[in-house]
Amino acid sequence: MLRVDRLSVEVPGKLLLNEVSLVVPPGQGVGLVGPSGCGKSTMLRTIAGLIDARGGTVQLGGVDRAAVGWPEFRRKAPYLSQVPSLVEGSVNQNLERPFTYRSASGGYEREKALRLLRAVGMDETCFSADVRSLSVGEQQRVCLVRALLAEPRFLLLDEPTSALDEENTGRVEALLLEEADRSGLGFLLVTHDREQAVRVCGSVLDLGDFKASSEVTG
Amino acid sequence: MRSEVIMLSPFDLVVSACLVLAAGFVSLALGLGLEKRLAIASARTVIQLLLIGFILRWVFAVDSPLVVIVILSVMLVVASRAAVQRPSRTFGGAAWRAFASLLLCGLATTFTVTAAIIHIEPWYQPQYLIPLLGMVLGNSLTGISLCLDHILNDLVCKRDQVEMELALGATRWEAARDIVRDSVSKGMIPIINTMMVVGVVSLPGMMTGQILSGTDPVEAVKYQIVVMFMIAAATSLGCIGVAILVFRHLFNDRHQLRAGLIRTR
Repeated sequence: MLRVDRLSVEVPGKLLLNEVSLVVPPGQGVGLVGPSGCGKSTMLRTIAGLIDARGGTVQLGGVDRAAVGWPEFRRKAPYLSQVPSLVEGSVNQNLERPFTYRSASGGYEREKALRLLRAVGMDETCFSADVRSLSVGEQQRVCLVRALLAEPRFLLLDEPTSALDEENTGRVEALLLEEADRSGLGFLLVTHDREQAVRVCGSVLDLGDFKASSEVTG
Repeated sequence: MRSEVIMLSPFDLVVSACLVLAAGFVSLALGLGLEKRLAIASARTVIQLLLIGFILRWVFAVDSPLVVIVILSVMLVVASRAAVQRPSRTFGGAAWRAFASLLLCGLATTFTVTAAIIHIEPWYQPQYLIPLLGMVLGNSLTGISLCLDHILNDLVCKRDQVEMELALGATRWEAARDIVRDSVSKGMIPIINTMMVVGVVSLPGMMTGQILSGTDPVEAVKYQIVVMFMIAAATSLGCIGVAILVFRHLFNDRHQLRAGLIRTR
């Protein structure tokens, strides 16, 4: 269970998110929608601990994320930014990368990587491809595969299909649902597409409903 | 072989000024517009060097450890200020981190040389300590400056990549080590380039000075080898020191990159 309790986030001069709470159960998706600028991406980055919250807690399996250990927490609940970010080199080097971290558990499995790549419409020829030669949509899918390879318990997904066509969007959605069924993966999905949120998530939270005060008061 | 030192008269200096005048005429003739800057630079060269000449003469005569310590401190402060002024980006506290790195690398290498190799007595003998530290600081500050410029640029330009690594479970060190490594290596490039061609393309100033003042060239070379090694050690220590201090400041114990602290000049 990924539990976010009364999370508040401040950006210079104002409170962007005010005491937002949500729960992502294992094996389920929670959609996060809302108008542009309401703080959806900031919410994910804050849950991942890449920026500090003004208040509130985030727990993984009932344990506060700081107690889990930041690298360990992020390995178990990785955040995928909307703009795909890959290191220079081949797709294979990028897929192996998280297994070089001290927080990694288990080793890199090429067969598993291939299964996941095929599931999102790519094949073994891309292993040796330079990531700079890939389209943004392909890079987005490589990022998703890279995150899934490390067997996370939750995924924090920021518009993971924003650069994909309908067919590949369907593949990514199917893979997420399959992983949720197979391994109990839970995910928090930020999307502009409310229909997508309804399609793949058990519940949908509209961040626009959480009215943040416009000025910081204390 | 040890020839007499040929003393230079004020007239000799005036003759040498003709060389700069010639450069000024070339600038005028070709319309380069460098005459004014050349004149200012020449005047500064004369004034600054004469000033330091008289100061050093006084320091050598006074022979006081306190005066030497004051001189060394001023050199360190000026060098650390110069080191942080060159990079295009900076952050609050960059100057004292550069100072700490220069202090560490400068004193560690200079005192190793003066105490273990040259065996100066007393330990503060300014005739050795001041020029040696000057050479170490002059070279290390270039390295530290380059290292600082590179690490700050990379942390801004590659912020997405660093945060991606953190978001996937990398520790702060795992996310930053490539950038830290590259930065130290960039800072070391000038001294390594110099060491590669020293004696072949260029004769270092100190060695040239010793030869001009009558020292046997082989003796001068021995000194120069010590100085090159000292500078190489100091530059690497200084670059590593400043890179680690910047890393510790810009990544907190929550394994976050605090890129917001970096500002462009």
